[in-house]
Amino acid sequence: MTRPTPRLLFFCLALSPVLIAALWIDTAFRPEPTAIVAPAEVSATLTLPLKEGSVRFAVLGDTGTGGTAQYDVARQMAAFHQEFPFEFVIMVGDNIIGADSPGDMAAKFSTPYKALLDKGIEFRAVLGNHDSPTQRFYKPFNMAGERYYTYRVAKAGAFEPTGGGVRFFAVETDYLDKPQIEWLEKELSSSNSEWKIAYFHHPLYSSGKAHGSSLETRAILEPLFVKYGLSAAFSGHDHVYERIKPQKGGIGYWVSGAGGRLRVGDLRVPSALTAKGFDRDCHFMLVEISGDDLYYQAISRTGTTVDSGVFHRPGALAAASPTPRPVVSPASGAPATR
Amino acid sequence: METKAPMTGGIALRILAGSLAALWLAAPALAHPMESPQEKVEAAKVAKKVEKAKSPKRQAKEEVEALEYFQKQVAKYVRIHEVQLARLGGQKAVTAKALADAIAADRARAMQGDVFVPRVQPLLRRLIAEQLKGPDTQAAAKAVVEGNPAKEADSVPVVPRVNAVYPSGATRSTVPPSLLLSLPPLPECLHYRFVNRDLILVDSVAQIIVDYLPAAAPPLGVK
Repeated sequence: MTRPTPRLLFFCLALSPVLIAALWIDTAFRPEPTAIVAPAEVSATLTLPLKEGSVRFAVLGDTGTGGTAQYDVARQMAAFHQEFPFEFVIMVGDNIIGADSPGDMAAKFSTPYKALLDKGIEFRAVLGNHDSPTQRFYKPFNMAGERYYTYRVAKAGAFEPTGGGVRFFAVETDYLDKPQIEWLEKELSSSNSEWKIAYFHHPLYSSGKAHGSSLETRAILEPLFVKYGLSAAFSGHDHVYERIKPQKGGIGYWVSGAGGRLRVGDLRVPSALTAKGFDRDCHFMLVEISGDDLYYQAISRTGTTVDSGVFHRPGALAAASPTPRPVVSPASGAPATR
Repeated sequence: METKAPMTGGIALRILAGSLAALWLAAPALAHPMESPQEKVEAAKVAKKVEKAKSPKRQAKEEVEALEYFQKQVAKYVRIHEVQLARLGGQKAVTAKALADAIAADRARAMQGDVFVPRVQPLLRRLIAEQLKGPDTQAAAKAVVEGNPAKEADSVPVVPRVNAVYPSGATRSTVPPSLLLSLPPLPECLHYRFVNRDLILVDSVAQIIVDYLPAAAPPLGVK
């Protein structure tokens, strides 16, 4: 038997950094693997700080299939509402997929979210490319017949037309025409709210393989967002969860497009855009805004927290790191550490 | 010494196989290092294109006249929409179907080309081609394909026909902002959409197809 040649050994040694790099890339960028399983039971493990006087809401995208996954997510939302009493839900489009007869509206909206609707939780929608424009007249979507609208939320979810607090801009990116662009610029420029949050269907940044970043929409919206100090934006369209690294102007972007529809493995890996991604199951988001901090928690259909953290308002003075809050598990009632 | 040689060879072969596997795994990442620079270049092109679409354009006299005539036809339709809406009790009282039926009855003799009049058609085709045809138009063409009922597997089919109702289970093509900034402006009750390559004019309240322009868009060579 002959000994391996020095050339072969050199070749192997030369390739070993590639192996290390590949392993690093794989672990650094791949979303945490979570198998799709039927949720055995509803669970609620909250990571949000529940600060006094904070603005609390949920984010839901690409929901309206009327399928099992949508109902499972809805159940988790209702369970989490016990621990985190959010006052309203923003829907980022594709709210009703397919037909929208009264029966469909019941099966795809009012039945799955009945527990929340019965508690008076308001849903505030924007339309996606699967939604009929007539849905802007559907009362539970609170769009008042408008394709795009704005509102301010102060303490305890009180919707008010003017003043500081958190201002939301509901934008219809499926038909971003000149009147809407002019309206948005006027509203953004005249708002004196500390937090300006936009939501719309098509993501300006996304690592989704199916759609990805909507560059045309970005070319219109991003300059306005940067110029007038938008803080954060939520969108859907790609059926995944993705927290995007802060972009121009320090703006935080989230893709939350799997409230009922899912594309398993749809996140492009690696992607320089991704701060955190999850494409293994459906999800929804909970958000809490207090002072200069926006706390977020993304929760899967099985009740697992797939992402959580705090985002500081761009332009705000650097705040001290928030103290980690004990996680409360309602199942046991005993506090556990994060 | 001689007896240990096969083992060393085996280890070397294993390292080689592992390294090759690693190369194979890392290939996508190495081929598209961080994706962002490529996307940045594309985004810069799109931003430039959108900026161009925003700027006012000089148009030939015939095109200006054609546009004025088109706007008159649009205004005629809007009058019908408003009269029927008022007759049925206004926005809060009326259903989309009732309004669609009333408008269809009022425009029973309407034909293709009544609003997209022949003299404005070349201009519309040119404006659409400028935004959807060429090397820097991929993002816009992709937007038109997204939600296009002819391209979406889970959409109800739509057959463009004057006075037909746009089906409730059908998806809607996204109309890229650069194109909306280029096309003649419309009142809020009317929207441009695409069904395959046909440009359609839809009443955004009644969901009725007001008119259509066949093969208005160039072939959409996007997945």
